[in-house]
Amino acid sequence: MPGVELVGLWDENDGRGRTTAGRHDIPFFPTETALLGARLDGVVVASVNSEHRRLTENAAAAGVDVLCEKPLATRLDDGRAMVAACAAANVRLMIAFPMRFSPVLAKLSDAIRGGTLGEVVCLEGVNTGEMPDGHAGWFADPVLAGGGAIMDHVVHLADAYRWLLGADVTEVYAVANRILQDHHGGVETGGLLSLRFDNGVFATIDCSWSKPRGYPTWGGLSIEAVGSAGVASADAFRQHLVVHRADAGESWPFWGSNADVGMLTEFVAAIREDREPTVTGVDGLRALEVVDAAYRSVESGEPVSVQRAE
Amino acid sequence: MTFRVGIVGAGFMGETHVAAWTAERVTPVLLDHDAARADSLAGRFGARVATSFEELFAAVDVVDVCTPTHQHADVAVRAAAAGRHVICEKPLARTVEDAEAIVAACERAGVRLFVAHVVRFFPEYDAARRLVAEGGIGDPAVLRLKRASFRPRRAPGHWFFDPALSGGMIVDLMIHDFDYARWVAGDVVAVQCHSVAADRPELGVEHAYAILTHESGAISHVTGSWAYGPPTFRTSLEIAGSRGLVEHDSAVAPPIVTYLQPRGPDSDGAVGLPGSPLAEDPFRLELREFRGSIERDVAARVTARDGVEALRIALAAAESARSGRIVRLRSAAAGATR
Repeated sequence: MPGVELVGLWDENDGRGRTTAGRHDIPFFPTETALLGARLDGVVVASVNSEHRRLTENAAAAGVDVLCEKPLATRLDDGRAMVAACAAANVRLMIAFPMRFSPVLAKLSDAIRGGTLGEVVCLEGVNTGEMPDGHAGWFADPVLAGGGAIMDHVVHLADAYRWLLGADVTEVYAVANRILQDHHGGVETGGLLSLRFDNGVFATIDCSWSKPRGYPTWGGLSIEAVGSAGVASADAFRQHLVVHRADAGESWPFWGSNADVGMLTEFVAAIREDREPTVTGVDGLRALEVVDAAYRSVESGEPVSVQRAE
Repeated sequence: MTFRVGIVGAGFMGETHVAAWTAERVTPVLLDHDAARADSLAGRFGARVATSFEELFAAVDVVDVCTPTHQHADVAVRAAAAGRHVICEKPLARTVEDAEAIVAACERAGVRLFVAHVVRFFPEYDAARRLVAEGGIGDPAVLRLKRASFRPRRAPGHWFFDPALSGGMIVDLMIHDFDYARWVAGDVVAVQCHSVAADRPELGVEHAYAILTHESGAISHVTGSWAYGPPTFRTSLEIAGSRGLVEHDSAVAPPIVTYLQPRGPDSDGAVGLPGSPLAEDPFRLELREFRGSIERDVAARVTARDGVEALRIALAAAESARSGRIVRLRSAAAGATR
């Protein structure tokens, strides 16, 4: 990225950190404090979910702007503390919601805002994928990840809906199970949510880890928006080739614009232009509130109200 | 032995059944309160027309009920009382009480009752269910079923648009996938549904999502819609299991596509029908199986109890859409007979 220097990397796992740093030819820092003290303008927190709060608070204390991976935290009070700590230290807190930078979803947003669909009345979203239990087994660890498929996937669509509608979720009904991928461990692998927004719109989310190993791609994200004038279906990852190889199954290499690049560009631009990023820690908190409500609904078997964390 | 069928109702479904029976070399006898309509349909297929229930029942062994939904119970109970086997279009009835009355009347009379849940006879749905039943994807976990079309082109005031008579889009259209979900993943114990029609009746938009919890622990997402522009009729299924996934989407896999130059206003039929070219259409396969089931006295793939349970789920969804509450259903196993 032009004008951006990758100062270095820290990882709790020394060996892994050194390997990754070496691969990208950047310095490895033995402690997070050392990295945060290296006169950074911004830091990306991409640790296990349960460490987001501690690392973000440390960055805030060091006066470094933060781009934090999703979900913001594993518990509402942690998320609330992160937003407060960054506000108190006057550092930016951006949440990593790359779908805000998907040109496909931007087109859907244009269609909604431009009135193509008439009045939007409901949304159906599917964000399903493989169970991330291979190279990144912590995603299915109830403590490190904070949950399973609901914690992993719901925030993407919860945020995309808030962005598309300009409305907040008020009520959540959720069901979940642990059947997919023969997983009978501590976290849910399948989940369905029904949401109600404060403008009356309703929506659903499928967050399941329902793509088996061997599926042509890791998963995907799609949204179907229904309005008084018709329906629009958007699939953020439909821009792919279909490849068949004699020695492997079918694969779908993606050729569309990389939303992660758009997201990192915005983080840098917000710092350079001394402004709030277009997607903030508060957006991360709003999405986490939906996750929190979903887990309470799964527990009770009833629709529950979203608890505002602030 | 000849197989003698009477069809009550010469409307859209009546016509579909006349065509299917005729293809099966069965010439049905028609009865409709609108004699001219019955005559016209009969004339096109070389069928006969009856002018009263008595005349119809005297001429046939099986009565195929294709009337508006709210009239199913009256016709089916009469037919059963006359000792005639009953084939009834879905939904089995407008209310669970009516549906149970049909079941009871048929049991009392010792006649067979079949509910025409035709989706079970669509080859892609049948093949997916068979694959699951054979363990091809392990235990079913998360199902996604969608049936989306445009608002049926019928005159305002038509019974189809009156929820008191038809049950509305949730009961008439989504019941297909409620039945299919139950066929694949078993009895349903909880139903949640949001619908645009319940929330915003003034918009005239019909679109709903239902979330079902099955007794097995599986969960299903069902979408029903009349909100697409014509001539869309899109159906999709996705069944994710403990060891695999099966998908089908009519929009992704149409076997024949045309790219025509514009030539004036479109000429679509009154109601969209999903169509993948087949040597034998699903209605024909369905009626043939029902016939064989009667002639050989064996079970068909869809039972009377299946028809009652599908209706129970559909009415629960409609109630949830109205009330905003989760509707719990007792397991069908408790009440199941045959």
